[in-house]
Amino acid sequence: MASTSASLSSPAAAVAGRRRYREFFEREGIFSWLMVTPPLLFLAALVGYPFCYGIYLSLQERPVAQAGTFVGLDNFVTLAGDPVFWRVAANTMIYTVVATVLKAVGGLGLALVMNQVFPLKNLVRAALLLPFIVPTVLSTIAWMWILDPSFSVVNWTMINVFGADKPGPAWLGNPTLAMISVIIINTWRGLPFYAITLLAGLQTIPAELHEAATIDGASTWNRFRYITLPLLKPVIFIVTMFSVIFTFSDFQLIYVLTRGGPANATHLFATYAFDIAMLGGQFGLGAAVALAILPPLALILVALAIYMRRVG
Amino acid sequence: MSVIKTSPNVPSRRDLFRLAAAAGVGGLGLPRGAAAAGVTLTFMHESSFIKAYDTYMQKTLVPAYEKESGNKLRYELLSVGSLQTRVTTAAETGQGPDITLNFFNWPYLYNEKYIDVSDIAEEAGRLNGGWTDSVKEAVVVDGKWKAVPFGNVGQLMVWRTDMFKAAGINAFPDTWEELYAAGVKLKVKGTPLGFELGHGFGDNHGWLYPLLWSYGAAEVLPDGKTIVLDSSETAAAVDYCRRLFKDTMNEEVLGWTDPNNNKSFLSEQISCTNNAASILWFAKNDFPDMAKMIAHAQNPAGPKGRFHILAPWSHSIFTHSKNQAAAKDFLRWLMNPKQLRGWLASADTYYAPFLKAFDTDPMWNIDPRYMPYRDSLATAHLPGWPAPVSRETSQSVAKYVVVDMFAKACAGASTREVIANAVAQLKQIYGQS
Repeated sequence: MASTSASLSSPAAAVAGRRRYREFFEREGIFSWLMVTPPLLFLAALVGYPFCYGIYLSLQERPVAQAGTFVGLDNFVTLAGDPVFWRVAANTMIYTVVATVLKAVGGLGLALVMNQVFPLKNLVRAALLLPFIVPTVLSTIAWMWILDPSFSVVNWTMINVFGADKPGPAWLGNPTLAMISVIIINTWRGLPFYAITLLAGLQTIPAELHEAATIDGASTWNRFRYITLPLLKPVIFIVTMFSVIFTFSDFQLIYVLTRGGPANATHLFATYAFDIAMLGGQFGLGAAVALAILPPLALILVALAIYMRRVG
Repeated sequence: MSVIKTSPNVPSRRDLFRLAAAAGVGGLGLPRGAAAAGVTLTFMHESSFIKAYDTYMQKTLVPAYEKESGNKLRYELLSVGSLQTRVTTAAETGQGPDITLNFFNWPYLYNEKYIDVSDIAEEAGRLNGGWTDSVKEAVVVDGKWKAVPFGNVGQLMVWRTDMFKAAGINAFPDTWEELYAAGVKLKVKGTPLGFELGHGFGDNHGWLYPLLWSYGAAEVLPDGKTIVLDSSETAAAVDYCRRLFKDTMNEEVLGWTDPNNNKSFLSEQISCTNNAASILWFAKNDFPDMAKMIAHAQNPAGPKGRFHILAPWSHSIFTHSKNQAAAKDFLRWLMNPKQLRGWLASADTYYAPFLKAFDTDPMWNIDPRYMPYRDSLATAHLPGWPAPVSRETSQSVAKYVVVDMFAKACAGASTREVIANAVAQLKQIYGQS
């Protein structure tokens, strides 16, 4: 009997146990941590560790393949006296600000156009993503050919159609033109990201608002100014933040196209850090250059957030 | 390579090979004979511009080595430009290939992660007429050979005989001033000169350091710490470079990286550049008519002589390798003229050997136009010379201090300004600011 009673009570106990477990794991405080822990561990391993290791390296005199010695902030003091570092800082600011503004304006314009109804709309929207889909190295090599004075379609057009003097502008040879060129290419590459994200934002704006404003006699500009733009601001903020981060730390485009030349005219933080760490074998100093991105980037992002909050 | 048949009592070449490897292992305190047979070696290289060179290794040398040694050899090819990142990763993590290819001053940079290969280098030198002195700048660290060099990819003048002839010039100019005069005529004819002034890997250093040296200037004295760049000799070199750029080249050269001058030369946009022998090699394959009109010349001489850049390729063995004895035996085997000759010849002498016995080797008869690359070795030095290779010289190269000094002058800055800027950078690099 005892065994029968045990066999009867056992399934009931097991069910009760399972329920207790389920209730325990379904408690909000437990379940949310269960969901958040894997990505947190992932971020700690793949973002947190490299970041902390970068800080650790930047505080060391650390030649490649040799043991490091702690030097405190010496690497940052060294950089403060390095004329190229300040040139690189200025380049990075110009590159980021100009390219981001161009991408924001162009992307918004493109998104507004794409939001209209026209034939082959979906195909055109898909094609819009091409510059973003093509690997950066590949598209940059194409741009290298486009801008090469010997083979440039741009120069060929300028010479043969508009009668410019041979061999035409040195797009990557003249320091000013080189910076303009890399900004244009970055804008070309980043525009689809802006456009598609803003397009998604535009589609969330209820049509009724525009209809009501139209009935009230609002002009196209006023509808854009007082309906579209305010409702789009959160999306603009997010996409601008991402764009600033990507542009500020750009590497591939510059590395493939100019490697920071001519005469450091297009050197950015990332390319300069790579040259010092990899080619010069100075990991500590290289890490310090890379880490120097952080304060200005944080400042820009905080300023952006404050601005958006005030006007939003 | 055939294996000589022997009676069971007589050791075969393979047996001798194994014994030699075992002896090496014995020297390291490992059990004799444990390392040689049946191990797998990984030999890391960057893809050569000369495809036949890699093919010769893959199709001829690897099978021959495997047959002779009983070991496996993985010839791991990386894309151009990615080798240093891989070497750094292997050195930092202590994992990866057993043997690696090096360029420029890497044996110095990775010194602590490379084993001493003095025995191999000294033996190769003894058996082959000795080493060209200049190469020791790059591979001997604290008196020890940390790499076995095999060839120099020199940067010399590559010029079009027909274009020069059309401008009334029948021989390559002997001095920088004569080159300037020729360049002016060539630019008028629509075939300017084109030397890299941008941030490439080597074609910029290839002519700008020799130009600086040929005017009697240098960054730092042989003591490795006294900065002497601010001199009248440097000013003369900078002034000359500005003239040469302005009157004989197009502005685009300021933004060139290494592939640009090759493209420009092969598309007949320029009449002369400073480059490795790869341009002629490509022309022979793809533009045979043009190839007939391509010639090479040593760099022009300046007031203080004629100089060239030392661009040595060498092999090192990582300290993390578990097969160090076998790796050393492989390098010893590779440096044997029997193997080395065929390998270098497969690249049309693109890699000029540092072993003096090769100076008169029949491989140079493949095409006498490559001879200047051989002859330039005697006056070749690493960037930063006459200072010994150091972390500071490496940093100066990585920051393009000399290249940008010239480039900024060409872009319009004053001589005084560019030298002051370069000196400020050197002071910061050498910790004297």
